[in-house]
Amino acid sequence: MNGNVKNNPLKKVLQIRGMGQVLTVTVGLIILCIVFGIINPTFFSFRNINNLLRQIAPILLIGIGQSYVLITGNIDLSIGSVVGMSTMISATLMTHGMNPWLSVIITLICCIAVGLANGLLVAGCKLPPFIATLGTMTIARGIAQIANGNYNTDSIGAAAEGFRNFFYYGRFLGIFSTVWIAIVLWVIFNFILSRTRTGRHIYAVGSNPDAAKLSGVSILGTTTKVYVVASICSCIVGLTQCASAGMGAMDAGNSYELYAVAASVIGGVSTLGGQGILLGTVIGAAIWGVLQNGLQFAGAPVAIRNIVIGVIVVLSVLLDVVVRGGKKIKIQKNK
Amino acid sequence: MEEKERPVVEMEHITKIFPGVVALDDVSFELRKGEVMALLGENGAGKSTLVKILSGVYTKDEGTIKIDGVDVGDVTPQSARKHGIAIIHQELNMCRHLSVAENIFLGRELSKHGILSSKEMEKEAERILSSLKIDISPSTIVGDLPVSKQQMVEIAKALSTNARILIMDEPTSALSDKEINELFRIIRDLKEHGHSIIYISHRLEELKHIVDRVTIMRDGHFITRADFSSLSMDQIISYMVGREIKEKFPHVETPVGETVFSVKNLNAGKMVRNVSFDVRKGEILGIAGLMGAGRTETTRAIFGVDPKEGGNIHLDGKEIVIRRPKDAIKAGVVLVPEDRKKDGLCTKLSIRENIALPNLDMLSDKASVIHSRKEHKMVGDAISSLSVKLSSAEANAASLSGGNQQKIVVGKWLARRSRVVIFDEPTRGIDVAAKVEIYNLMNRLKENGIAVVFVSSELPEILGMADRIAVMCDGEIKGFLQRGEATQEKIMALATQFEKKIVEVEL
Ligand SMILES: Nc1ncnc2c1ncn2[C@@H]1O[C@H](COP(=O)(O)OP(=O)(O)OP(=O)(O)O)[C@@H](O)[C@H]1O
Ligand SMILES: [Mg+2]
Repeated sequence: MNGNVKNNPLKKVLQIRGMGQVLTVTVGLIILCIVFGIINPTFFSFRNINNLLRQIAPILLIGIGQSYVLITGNIDLSIGSVVGMSTMISATLMTHGMNPWLSVIITLICCIAVGLANGLLVAGCKLPPFIATLGTMTIARGIAQIANGNYNTDSIGAAAEGFRNFFYYGRFLGIFSTVWIAIVLWVIFNFILSRTRTGRHIYAVGSNPDAAKLSGVSILGTTTKVYVVASICSCIVGLTQCASAGMGAMDAGNSYELYAVAASVIGGVSTLGGQGILLGTVIGAAIWGVLQNGLQFAGAPVAIRNIVIGVIVVLSVLLDVVVRGGKKIKIQKNK
Repeated sequence: MEEKERPVVEMEHITKIFPGVVALDDVSFELRKGEVMALLGENGAGKSTLVKILSGVYTKDEGTIKIDGVDVGDVTPQSARKHGIAIIHQELNMCRHLSVAENIFLGRELSKHGILSSKEMEKEAERILSSLKIDISPSTIVGDLPVSKQQMVEIAKALSTNARILIMDEPTSALSDKEINELFRIIRDLKEHGHSIIYISHRLEELKHIVDRVTIMRDGHFITRADFSSLSMDQIISYMVGREIKEKFPHVETPVGETVFSVKNLNAGKMVRNVSFDVRKGEILGIAGLMGAGRTETTRAIFGVDPKEGGNIHLDGKEIVIRRPKDAIKAGVVLVPEDRKKDGLCTKLSIRENIALPNLDMLSDKASVIHSRKEHKMVGDAISSLSVKLSSAEANAASLSGGNQQKIVVGKWLARRSRVVIFDEPTRGIDVAAKVEIYNLMNRLKENGIAVVFVSSELPEILGMADRIAVMCDGEIKGFLQRGEATQEKIMALATQFEKKIVEVEL
């Protein structure tokens, strides 16, 4: 290579937009880990770390989906319901004796249909994303409920052993398969967002849809893509939950859409669109997981955990506002 | 000291540093009672920054601000209001979803017992608007008004505060001649009443109508302050740009060839009716007309932003179908849009990302992965060919000065090998030197056989640069004029051929 690689690598990393916020929350994450490590030395045991990673993985996955949607300036409230739908459809099919992999494919198709519907409603029919996905959220939960006639399913049975190992119990290099799935998908989606045309279009739509359109970006196409990504991520999480429990639960994924917003926002993704990187979502999901796990270890009841996490969400956004130096927070007005 | 000579504002040794840029370096400024002070300088010279410090938008890093001879420390938006300072910003700052009256009274709504007095506000707004001879209903939603009317509302808003120090940052860049004359009348009136005005503009020819003194800045430095009458226009320009500019309209003659681009019987709504024109190889087709004549609507319909109702478009003899901007870009037709904040820039993205956005197809491989080295090269070329003043291509587009933002909007289209380039008011808000750069660029396109369509409201530049001029009025082309025969009078005669007696405010 010629000698004009600009600046030093560290400076280059710092130049990546959104990196500042990611670095500040990373420091927060490290402090949290140290605190929990001191309170409870087994926090750093291999066993706990492995479990912790498995707790973080689903939050990361839905966080990726929600981050995609948030960067276009929209929101997806249907994420949690799609998780439930995915669990219930796949489990129902398997309890009826269908081949697990065929069930997975059918489930994926159903979930993608929700993503497509979201995209069409928001960008095609110009519904406010909050309303459109509130609707699909309710519908998807309904589908989860009727999938098995308003009951949770029975055990998906021994035939699904391979499925359960693939999505949850299997290990590779000592690490659970859910974690690997999350890593692989993160790498793929991070690449798409940061290095491809589609990714650039996603930021452009979130920053200024009019200007993006006049530059030849398809608003409908881009918006639909991000909702489909969100639905794929939710679908995978639903499958891991089915694999983990060995059955389908109708209320699986309850409130996950909000956890996904939290992970994204802690990691610096702006709810106003146009800003954020998936590295931040990893840190956001990790902070979420570490808090859950650490507080559980420390014996804190669920109520306390909720309160702490709520406070952290608000603090991290506040921190971002302060760090960016008094920039006024503007409430976005959707046209 | 005579009352008239008394300085109301004195700013001394003002320094302001943004990350990576020294926007102001030891600048001094003075404004007297009852005068119009022009603040002049190239794009990025620091004019807007200086007045934003005076109005409390930014805080200075160093220096002193005295108002009526009293050191006031740092100005905040609240204290600015208390001192009677009001500013009309370069970019429109309005709530598009609120009505005209609501915008005028934003932040100081009239109320009785905590309940908004909408009626009173509308009545008061009506009074202000009519005193300014602005023909808009106070209940109109601002987003529905054309840009020029929005600008007038912005002016009405500033005037309604009864400020005695009024700052106007390029107020006329979006106004029609009629509205400009109206504004000048208002300014003279205010001057009579002892108000002081800071006036920023790149349209140097309008200064002679209103300005008493000028302050000239370059690159964040104070250059000179003088009576307007003591300087010639050439002197002002050379103070501004640091060198002389020989030719303001560098027109070149090129042999005219076959037709490249032709539009036939284009119809799109009320503002585009039966529009037909050809652009031939080696010529610039100017489109002149008053504000609201349908020129922007025509360009938007051609480019596929707004739907067409009929008509066809031929490129190099073949018919092309444009339903969306994407189709137009693919076919080689590009549009540099008029409203940079709304249609031109993604302000939250970097300058690099903005320039690359329409060109990603050329910068990425089959798997649509963006080739980062190609991208940096394209962006570097675009920036240097228009000499954009910036700290780094990674900075947000929002951090650029207004004129430099406009250069990015133009620059992002030039990297493509297009067949037709449509410019809609490309020199709005751009300094004299940069205007010449854009004209040269249009010449280069024309010499390369690319069809250039040039929409502008400034007659001198249309007359100076276009080879043929189409004049629009009421959504129709009223006639074509050849370069040799065109004069301001002939253009105006065609531009005012209204059919209907009453010109409605277009909604
Ligand atoms: N918020 C900001 N952040 C970083 N840099 C800024 C910011 N605002 C202005 N600048 C920089 O400060 C310099 C002066 O900008 P300013 O807007 O005052 O120029 P100007 O004289 O008004 O130019 P124009 O005629 O183009 O409007 C420019 O180099 C600009 O990039
Ligand atoms: Mg400016």
